[in-house]
Amino acid sequence: MIEAFRQAYQWFFNGDPPPAQPKDPHERFVPANGGVYQSRNAAAGPPPQRQAPPQGAPPQAALPRTAPPEEPPPRERDPWDPPVVGRPVGTFAPRPSTAAAYRPDYVADGWATPRFVVRAASVRGYSHRNTGEPRQDDVAVAWHEPTGAVLFAVADGVSDAPLSHIGATSACRAAIGAMTAGLDGGDGRVDWDGLLRGAAWQLCEQARLSLGLPEIDREAAERHMATTLVAGLVRPGPDGPMVELVQVGDSSAWILNTRVPRYQCLTPTKFRVGDEVFTNAVVALPRVPAVEVRHGTMSRDEVLLVGTDGFGDPLGDGDNLVGDHFSDALRTVPPVLKFANDLDFSRETWDDDRTLFALWPYGIRG
Amino acid sequence: MAENTGNLLPVYMVADESFSMNDYIDNLNDGLAQLHDALLGEPMAAAKVRFTILGFSDDVQLRLAMADLRRENKLPQLVARSRTAYGKVFEDLRARIPSDVASLKGQGYTVHRPAVFFLSDGQPTDGDGWRATRDQLVDQNVTRAAPNIIACGIGDVKPQTMLDVATKPEYAFVSTGADLGAEIAKFCAALTKSIVKSGRTIGSGQPELVVERPQNFKMAIDVV
Repeated sequence: MIEAFRQAYQWFFNGDPPPAQPKDPHERFVPANGGVYQSRNAAAGPPPQRQAPPQGAPPQAALPRTAPPEEPPPRERDPWDPPVVGRPVGTFAPRPSTAAAYRPDYVADGWATPRFVVRAASVRGYSHRNTGEPRQDDVAVAWHEPTGAVLFAVADGVSDAPLSHIGATSACRAAIGAMTAGLDGGDGRVDWDGLLRGAAWQLCEQARLSLGLPEIDREAAERHMATTLVAGLVRPGPDGPMVELVQVGDSSAWILNTRVPRYQCLTPTKFRVGDEVFTNAVVALPRVPAVEVRHGTMSRDEVLLVGTDGFGDPLGDGDNLVGDHFSDALRTVPPVLKFANDLDFSRETWDDDRTLFALWPYGIRG
Repeated sequence: MAENTGNLLPVYMVADESFSMNDYIDNLNDGLAQLHDALLGEPMAAAKVRFTILGFSDDVQLRLAMADLRRENKLPQLVARSRTAYGKVFEDLRARIPSDVASLKGQGYTVHRPAVFFLSDGQPTDGDGWRATRDQLVDQNVTRAAPNIIACGIGDVKPQTMLDVATKPEYAFVSTGADLGAEIAKFCAALTKSIVKSGRTIGSGQPELVVERPQNFKMAIDVV
């Protein structure tokens, strides 16, 4: 199906005008030729170009540009270009991150234990690449060898908090540490409430260090480093792999049944069927809400997915092009870099940072 | 949920086309042309906005309907006409916004709460009847897609009137300058920045309506 996407959107990579929107919103693929963008009074033809102001016109406020005035010549499609799902984001050269510390655009990881296969990636969103802001998402994954459990943490720094990328990293690492400590303990259980309180404390302590504060200031930590978090583990069980996880904020988790395929969301998300307009009120660390630990088991046909809203929002209920894209990409375990590349799909207006952890409940030899 | 086509913020520019605007209507048209030009340079933000222009006087004229400004060659011209009937505007928006939101959702878009930028240079000439219609428009129990209204007054507008139009006190502004043409240009510049900044947040984890105060405008609450 990925190849089908590439063929269907070859016009984009050739630099051709975009094809028409499908008349049927349920149409799965945009036709590869003909037509123009739909707009109630737009004339047919290529999109208008930005024009220089007339001589003598008052100077305009300098606004950041998405693309330089001279467009590079169209180039051939590269296999490592992000896959296009529907109408793509416009092409532009990403700006460097303005974060003081090094913050790469892509993080990709993947390995296998005797019982599980893991892939994880975190990619800077097109919007942040365009404005020069750092990737505010992060992910951490670990294997607890004595129990065979795979531990995961996914975090999404709140946009308004200028150091939230540090907060996301701190929360992920604190969560992995807390789960490891729990499994290493006498009863092998994780104190989930303690995990969240510990992650919140770590966030506050990191804020104290980063901001040079004399003592912990929870409000300052929230202003500068607030982040969502989903943390959990999968361990072998007699009835199949057992999943436990907790959630703060709108990062979420799903089970993808690769046989149907179908997505089952395990945690609340922002989308609710019937909402007239989109609303969003983020709960984020260091605030710690009442904790609800979610449990479940997985079958061999299922893949556990844990992701930030940059993945979850375009996925929705999965009955759409994005759902098709991932159900195809994750039907079997992909190479690590392909997993990250698939996560970096291009789809107009969906340009947030994206982070995804995926676990297949079987081992791979070799 | 059907197709998840994208995130959109519907923006309505509601412009006073009363005859008193006759000397300044070119400033307004120029300002909107510059807004268009600026958004062509911000295609990622512009992709998330559908822009409607309504001119009101004795009636409401639809000048531009839910346009993707990246696909417009030129914006239509506003025309100074007759009186300043606020009631007509709110009647129009009461019908138009739910219909527009339903249309966009039918196309699979995730629709964010619409924003109305209201510009007038005069007091309403149709009495107080508009207030009840406006209240219905912004009541989310009546109009589920009730918009945020940002009200900017120039010339003869009273600050209290803008406060009564806007959905929040901090969304009501009045100009302090005597050169109405220059004030209109500042309004358009602020409108442009508001749309670009809001467009950038749409689709992020924390989408928000960003409202820029026009240069030299005061918050109406500070003037009342």
